[in-house]
Amino acid sequence: MIKFILKRLGISFLVLLGGSLLMFYLTVSSGDPLQDYYESNDPNRDQIIASITQRLMLDQPWIARYWDWLTGVAGCIGPGVCDLGQNINGVEVGSLLGNAAVSTLRLVTLATVLAILVGITVGIVTAIRQYSGFDYVVTFLTFLFFSLPVFWAAVLLKEFGAIRYNDWIADPQISSVQAIVIGVVLAVILQAVLGGSWRRRLVTAGVTAVFVFAALTYFTSVGWWRAPALGIGIVAVVAIAAAVGLTAIFAGLGNRRVLYSTLTTVGVGLVAYYAVGPLLAEPNLLILLLLLAITIVVSLASGYFWGGYSSRRTAMGLSAVTGVIMGLLILLDRIVYAWAGFLGLKSRPISTIGSNTPNFRGDYWETILDNGTQLLLPTVLLTLISIASYSRYTRASMLETMNQDFVRTARSKGLSERVVIVKHAFRNALIPITTIVAFDFAALIGGAVITETVFGWKGMGELFRTGLDAVDPAPVMAFFLVTGLAAIVMNMLADIAYAFLDPRIRR
Amino acid sequence: MTAGFAAVAATALVLSACTSSPGGDDPTTGESSSDTADPSAEPTEAYEGTDKQDLGDVTTVDDQISYSLGEDEWLGYNGNTPETYSTYNSVVNDRIQSGFTYFGTDGTIYVNEDLGNVELVSEDPMVVEYTIADDAVWSDGTPITYDDALFSWATQAIADGQDADGADVPLFNYVGGLDLGSRTTAPVGEPGGKTFTLEYTNPYPDYMISTLMQFPLHVAAEQAGTTSEDVIAAIEAADVEALRPVAEFYNTGWLSPTPGTLPDEAIALSSGPYVLSSWEAGQSITLEANPEWWGTPPATSTLVYRFAAAETQVQALANGDLNIIEPQATVDTVSQIEAIGDSVTLLTGPSLTWEHLDFNFNNGPFATSLPLREAFAMCVPRQLIVDNLIAPIDPEAVVMNAREVFPFQDNYEDVVSQSYDGRYDEVDIAGAQAKIAESGVAGPIDVRIGYSAPNARRTEQVALIKDSCDQAGFNVTDVGNDAFFDQTLPNGDYEVALFAWAGSGQIASGLSIYSTGGGQNYGGYSNADVDAAWQALSSTLDPAEQQAEIVTIETNLWDDLYGIPVFAHPGVTAFDSTIQNVRDTATQSTVAWNAEQWVRAN
Repeated sequence: MIKFILKRLGISFLVLLGGSLLMFYLTVSSGDPLQDYYESNDPNRDQIIASITQRLMLDQPWIARYWDWLTGVAGCIGPGVCDLGQNINGVEVGSLLGNAAVSTLRLVTLATVLAILVGITVGIVTAIRQYSGFDYVVTFLTFLFFSLPVFWAAVLLKEFGAIRYNDWIADPQISSVQAIVIGVVLAVILQAVLGGSWRRRLVTAGVTAVFVFAALTYFTSVGWWRAPALGIGIVAVVAIAAAVGLTAIFAGLGNRRVLYSTLTTVGVGLVAYYAVGPLLAEPNLLILLLLLAITIVVSLASGYFWGGYSSRRTAMGLSAVTGVIMGLLILLDRIVYAWAGFLGLKSRPISTIGSNTPNFRGDYWETILDNGTQLLLPTVLLTLISIASYSRYTRASMLETMNQDFVRTARSKGLSERVVIVKHAFRNALIPITTIVAFDFAALIGGAVITETVFGWKGMGELFRTGLDAVDPAPVMAFFLVTGLAAIVMNMLADIAYAFLDPRIRR
Repeated sequence: MTAGFAAVAATALVLSACTSSPGGDDPTTGESSSDTADPSAEPTEAYEGTDKQDLGDVTTVDDQISYSLGEDEWLGYNGNTPETYSTYNSVVNDRIQSGFTYFGTDGTIYVNEDLGNVELVSEDPMVVEYTIADDAVWSDGTPITYDDALFSWATQAIADGQDADGADVPLFNYVGGLDLGSRTTAPVGEPGGKTFTLEYTNPYPDYMISTLMQFPLHVAAEQAGTTSEDVIAAIEAADVEALRPVAEFYNTGWLSPTPGTLPDEAIALSSGPYVLSSWEAGQSITLEANPEWWGTPPATSTLVYRFAAAETQVQALANGDLNIIEPQATVDTVSQIEAIGDSVTLLTGPSLTWEHLDFNFNNGPFATSLPLREAFAMCVPRQLIVDNLIAPIDPEAVVMNAREVFPFQDNYEDVVSQSYDGRYDEVDIAGAQAKIAESGVAGPIDVRIGYSAPNARRTEQVALIKDSCDQAGFNVTDVGNDAFFDQTLPNGDYEVALFAWAGSGQIASGLSIYSTGGGQNYGGYSNADVDAAWQALSSTLDPAEQQAEIVTIETNLWDDLYGIPVFAHPGVTAFDSTIQNVRDTATQSTVAWNAEQWVRAN
């Protein structure tokens, strides 16, 4: 194994080296960095041209410039000073790279996690209900999102998600007609998704329409849009639903030990809702992390004591997940509650550009809201366009597994459908998806060029794009190094993960 | 060459600077701001002048205004090095650094009376007297004095030996090199005093924009481990070794190579209405009103300059994330801004960058045949190009009939009426055919029009020219490519070059474009009369004589057909209609040129 990994690393290094040479050549051949100055009539023109020529070594052959860059970078892995070079304006690329990487991770991590969670879930459900109305609707939607031109979709999102929403939130009104229309539209969609007999569809649609209409009217009349709150009631309902749902899927409701364990976790969480209230008034990251750690310990304890001998592991795992969900709900409650104050500080809450509001001064929760509202639109966009690939891969992989002999065997043994799907089919279907997820995390650090540009985030993609536009090799090569390394490492991790997921490979 | 060429540009600018009080009796003045404000929008009180309006008593309003020109990061307090010298840097730095002069909206040079005064006190020898306002101080309270001016002069005058070619190597990394030092002797004044004089060895018409105030000497001296007195003595003695640490600090200490980390407040002192307040890497830089500012108080307490890419600006303006933008001047941008409605005001107008067609005098059919050049000029549909490509952005755009003055400047009519009789105003296919016949060259004559591609507007211009000129007997081909300046132009693989000059606001900048052997005379044009006129122009201080030389130059360039001017590039500015005193400008100072006057109406 070690020999295999070392061999792979050696080959990857050579590939990276060759790639860097090619990349450097392509970049410096892509144009003329002095372009802008030829048309300048500025008296300083000659000095500026001379300065750029000297800084970028434009009077040298490209291979000499490459060597200069390579020896600088060699300092990063070997002895010597790590030097990623300077960009065309003399700014250290090292510091640019740091800022860009942080910005990109902030932008893309949430969207990638969301896309993986939603995509895999949707993929499994569509596979289980192949060729149903739900399958067709979801397939249609995912392909629609997949083929959206990012730039155009971003412009629409900004128009409706930011500009129009901000106009509306200034005085949020929903007329009865609007409430009815929204209710009917949602009713049509939901019955198509849930499916069933005509009778069942009618009931679904009817209940949905009435509920949506009533909720919208109620929210508008009490001014909920500008001063929203969840309250202990909604937190409790959602948490209990999560506990029961998780148990039903992964352990079966028949397993009372697990059910009681997760419900106990919810109970403790509800007590904590009041107990830690003062702590959450003005917290910091350390306090929140500590609370998270305590939550997990308490949940694990609940699972340990309820689980008994037979299902201790399951109970502990599910309790921990329930505990984390409970914690997130309590945070969400706080954040929602802070919305009214946030609107007071920022009358147009959703921005179209930037990763934060310049000179924003609010308390902890309001600052989270500010960062969150800035993140909202790009995250929605990135998630929508990447759900498609996850859901389709999962669906295909799941369908393939479901048709395997061992699944038929499991069924014929009399195992419940839940066990067949969760334990036998899903675990095996996950193996090929691992590769895709690993690759996506590698691509993650490369940033999302267009999304970053249209939402004004200075991330990795932006670093690459502006570098290329200016025919400025140092930032482009820094981007190449990081993405190349990420691809190699993630590939490696995928291979190792394979060995864990599929015992056949280990032999 | 460099030194000679350092004095360049639109002669007219200086003329108006030296002669007239703003908004003189010329009836065209009113039209000089060709703002096409959204007719439905609240008309802001039209100020007729091109200088900063006197707003009377101003009290700073506690408010925040966001503006953006582009995504480029701020590079540092010292924007006068070749690395950091850019519009995107000066849009911030001009708010915190006062100069003795500034450009008005049409390129006219005005004295910045907040800082002091500039006055030509003697023409022979040429002596300029500078006065610094008595209460002018840096933001740490230290008075702004002759010391700082001497330091500014030294950064442009002290040489650190010579290179292999025998050229002086500048000690300070100043963007203009040693040009000022080569024209002047050290400014004369009292250390710590508020007045000084600067003597030029030869008459120099662009003296108004010489940079005599940059950064605080006492900070540079302290950072270099010495004192102001010692530095002054070293400058007067031209003691390179003593100045080396100061130069080292000037070259690097005032730069910000790590985005997001503002320079120390004690180092980056302000001499303008604002001070640096905070900097979020990749996002924004914030300026606050300077408590030590002695002039008219800034109208708004906080300015936020956001690094927003051009394609995001219009929607950000509609959403209030940005309040003032100067986006790319395209038809799409204009229609998007108009679609937002009354809440946003649109200004369009020409800039000091102008498009032109230049003939190749080194080789090809046009090099030797004036009739052929005339034939080509007759068939180029200049009015059509402006109507189709420019008027949709700026409805008041006109065809340009001069090279050294712009249609929106006061003396344009004067110069054009004396140098150009309108012979190429209308497309004349028959006339062009006759001229081709006269030239004796057998057609069709191949004409390669080169430009720097990709550039959609220039591609369309070439298409329009081809439609028209092919009828006259030319065979126009589009040879636009991305190596145009790199290869096509130096190799001479073209008959006509299509590009633009970005005006710098100097009088004598055309010297290197039109005189024999000039560094930017790419086509190899040569005319002894033009050379003589440029020499006269670049060495006279008399506005009337400058105007006369421009007429001579323009007349010759029209008669010889050096090339054909086409139009001034349009510019687009848009802003939140509740903000007052936003005025667009033709110069590279950008819409932020009077940022300290912006204020949101209550």
